[in-house]
Amino acid sequence: MAQLNSDYTIPDLAPELQRGPTWLQNHRRTLRQKFNDTPLPPRGLHLWRYTDPAKFMVGQTADQAASASKFKALIEEEQKHLAENHLSGLVTDFTGREIKALGVDKLSEQGVVIKALSDAVESHLDLVEPYLYGLVGSETGKFEAMNGALWNDGIFVYVPDNTVIEQPLHLLREAAGSGSAQFPRLLVVVGKNSEVTLIDEYGGGSSEKGADPAYSNGVVEIYGLEDSRTRYVSLQRHEPVTNSYLTHRAKIASGATMLTVPLAFGGALSKQNFGVIMAGPGSESNMYGMLFGTGRQHFDNHTLHHHASGQTHSNIDIKVVLRDKAISAYTGLIRIDEHAQTCEAYQENRNLLLSSGTKAETIPELEILNEDVSCSHGATVGPIDPIELFYLMCRGISLEVAQRMIVLGFVTPTLNRVPADMRERISRFVDTRLENV
Amino acid sequence: MSDAVERQKKDLSTLNQDYATKYGFSDPVDYFHKGARGLDHEVVEMISQMKKEPRWMADIRHQALDTFLSKPMPRWGNTKLLGEIDFKNIYYFMKPIENQQKSWDDVPEYIKKTFDKLGIPEAEKEFLGGVSAQYESEVVYHSMKEDLKAQGIVFLDMDSGLREREEIVKKYFGSVIPATDNKFAALNTAVWSGGSFIYVPPGVDVKIPLQAYFRINAENMGQFERTLIIADKGARVHYIEGCTAPVYSTDSLHSAVVEVIALEGASIRYTTIQNWSRNIFNLVTKRANAYKNATVEWVDGNLGSRLTMKYPCVQLLGEGARGEILSVAFAGIDQHQDAGAKVIHAAPNTSSRITSKSISKDNGRASYRGLAKVHKQAVGSKVSVECDALLIGDEARSDTYPTMEIDSEKVRVEHEARVSKVAEEQLFYLTSRGLTEDEARLLIVNGFMEPFTKELPLEYAVELNRLIELEMEGSIG
Repeated sequence: MAQLNSDYTIPDLAPELQRGPTWLQNHRRTLRQKFNDTPLPPRGLHLWRYTDPAKFMVGQTADQAASASKFKALIEEEQKHLAENHLSGLVTDFTGREIKALGVDKLSEQGVVIKALSDAVESHLDLVEPYLYGLVGSETGKFEAMNGALWNDGIFVYVPDNTVIEQPLHLLREAAGSGSAQFPRLLVVVGKNSEVTLIDEYGGGSSEKGADPAYSNGVVEIYGLEDSRTRYVSLQRHEPVTNSYLTHRAKIASGATMLTVPLAFGGALSKQNFGVIMAGPGSESNMYGMLFGTGRQHFDNHTLHHHASGQTHSNIDIKVVLRDKAISAYTGLIRIDEHAQTCEAYQENRNLLLSSGTKAETIPELEILNEDVSCSHGATVGPIDPIELFYLMCRGISLEVAQRMIVLGFVTPTLNRVPADMRERISRFVDTRLENV
Repeated sequence: MSDAVERQKKDLSTLNQDYATKYGFSDPVDYFHKGARGLDHEVVEMISQMKKEPRWMADIRHQALDTFLSKPMPRWGNTKLLGEIDFKNIYYFMKPIENQQKSWDDVPEYIKKTFDKLGIPEAEKEFLGGVSAQYESEVVYHSMKEDLKAQGIVFLDMDSGLREREEIVKKYFGSVIPATDNKFAALNTAVWSGGSFIYVPPGVDVKIPLQAYFRINAENMGQFERTLIIADKGARVHYIEGCTAPVYSTDSLHSAVVEVIALEGASIRYTTIQNWSRNIFNLVTKRANAYKNATVEWVDGNLGSRLTMKYPCVQLLGEGARGEILSVAFAGIDQHQDAGAKVIHAAPNTSSRITSKSISKDNGRASYRGLAKVHKQAVGSKVSVECDALLIGDEARSDTYPTMEIDSEKVRVEHEARVSKVAEEQLFYLTSRGLTEDEARLLIVNGFMEPFTKELPLEYAVELNRLIELEMEGSIG
């Protein structure tokens, strides 16, 4: 079983380090060293002010043990969508052990590669090697290094140039239960002038109160080549006794667009870091996210929009809804480099507090290193406006329904960016969390 | 319109001296007392004994020195520049004359000349209720209008305040900013000298502003003034300070602590224009406590210094208290203005507003760093934060690091920030109406700063406008 241990170091003989071809083993060993040499981030440090890093220091990788029943029901539901042509493919990742790609034959004919990362490093070395660790590698922090050394398995998606995938591709991952640790990884390369929508779903984990939590430490790397159009939805719906950590970095080349939709509902402790680097002129990144915290859930989210090239455009809108004693800390940075001229960047973070024990921290940051930009951010924190409630109730709507309408209205800009089939499920998540406010 | 610009340009040409000739002079001085460089318990004891202080104050100083020595340097902000401060090479105490003067004529000629150049006596004659002028560590000149004295208002330098009003000082000294607050507050508490002490009795309204002027003359001098302002129940007061220093090749350190206490229903406004020369490290802790229905306003201008780190704070401790912080920063060549504001809401129905304006020019860097904290019990509170930044020049940099920590549900918190260059459309609009591009740009910058300048007393507003025009010169066109 995996337990917390702040002094944990990865042993030289960890079996994960021996996996894959030699170049990969070398990477794994470098990152193992990086993990072992990096001290636990001090609490005063910028992005660690609100979350204790020791809560992610899982001692050793565990024997996986998970119940498959919930997961199976979900797979069946998604297979229906697949049959109705609402999905273009389904990849299931059961506790990092069995990665299966379903219904992807048509895509394979088009040259699309969808595989377990451990297979792809053997079969498609030429496509994987230039990209793996390129965005989240040895330059990043302790926990990213941990994933880099230990990822047990991941998913690889490659879309060749000039290929449009009409329907979303659903990546469905289920973590194991109490005391388990998983290190999922995702690598996506979207070719020139290609288009794809990905739904990256993280479920499972532990729901055993009082027992050891389940741990998940994930890394996502996405490359959008010239003029590509990528939509990426990340859904975290872990079981309540799960600590999860996720680092996402995407890099888009000139003319490419990227839509990122981070959604977080689950877990006891969730720390997620989403970042898009605009590396070529004319590239554009939009991020529409939401999280809904209930009970004693703790969310610590970061976003980064890095304008590394001129003539780039970015927009962020993060919505936070909290009730009971839930806590959210959000730190969003917009960085515009010295030579990145004529950029536009906007950022908005709104927090809706539904009960009195909640806490919301919001830190929207700007680092602007040249003059020729237009940049703004806004943040608000407050309860449901009593005037809005009054207006609705005057028209005969019950308090409960009125609250629900207002909260759904609040998150609609985000929901509208989610593919239609998914949207219903997300609304259901919101609904169940609004009961007995 | 174009007349006004013409007039401004004319002002500019007559004002065509840089900081070095206007404030940058230094006087050759035989100091009455010049301590040794560096800091230890001996220096602290020497300062305390020269001032003939009570023992409790000496004890506070020694304790604070231990705190200073044990605390690490801040690990945030511009750590590279902070790392350049050489605490061993600084003079911690200098005394220019033996005794403080009440009549301007008695002040030694060289100091008088300095303050004459800075316009202190004229300001007093025309406008201000009281003036205090500090040269290095000690206040050299102090005066106050007779009628203010009659109302029971106390306006003294801090050393005299400690001598004459020991009971008030003992009660409030370090009560808002304890020495353990941060490394530089500890340093100030250990070696403080001079500063202003103001006490306004209950219900008294000080109709004309009180003013102090701080000047660093010597090289490697550290100035550590300590200011304590108390407005008793229902009292009102406006305090203004300004600061300059000559231009030396090595750096000096200014590290003040300002504690402001507004008791029930009182109102305090504190205005600073900081125009230190560009080799001064300006690391200042300013904080106010506002009790029930009290109002505290900080009006904070940062134009000078190499590195400024200053975040005026209002702690709203009583129901209905109000805090307002208006901050403006101008970062020119090689400057880093790391300024901002903090509001702590700890009582119900409190309100606060932060307005920050910054201009970064050439390779200057202006950062807004702020905190708005609303505690659980502060229901019905309102916070509004607005930051605007203007960038002039390719190498200019602007950062915004606001933090909002909200632990209460029934509150309204709003934050907004905008960063841009001078808008092409605005320039086009003005130039299409016959203004040259220079004139248009100056007009836009002045308009950008207006919410700040209109809060200043007239002569400060004029001075600030001139300073900005001076800074803008050369970039215009």
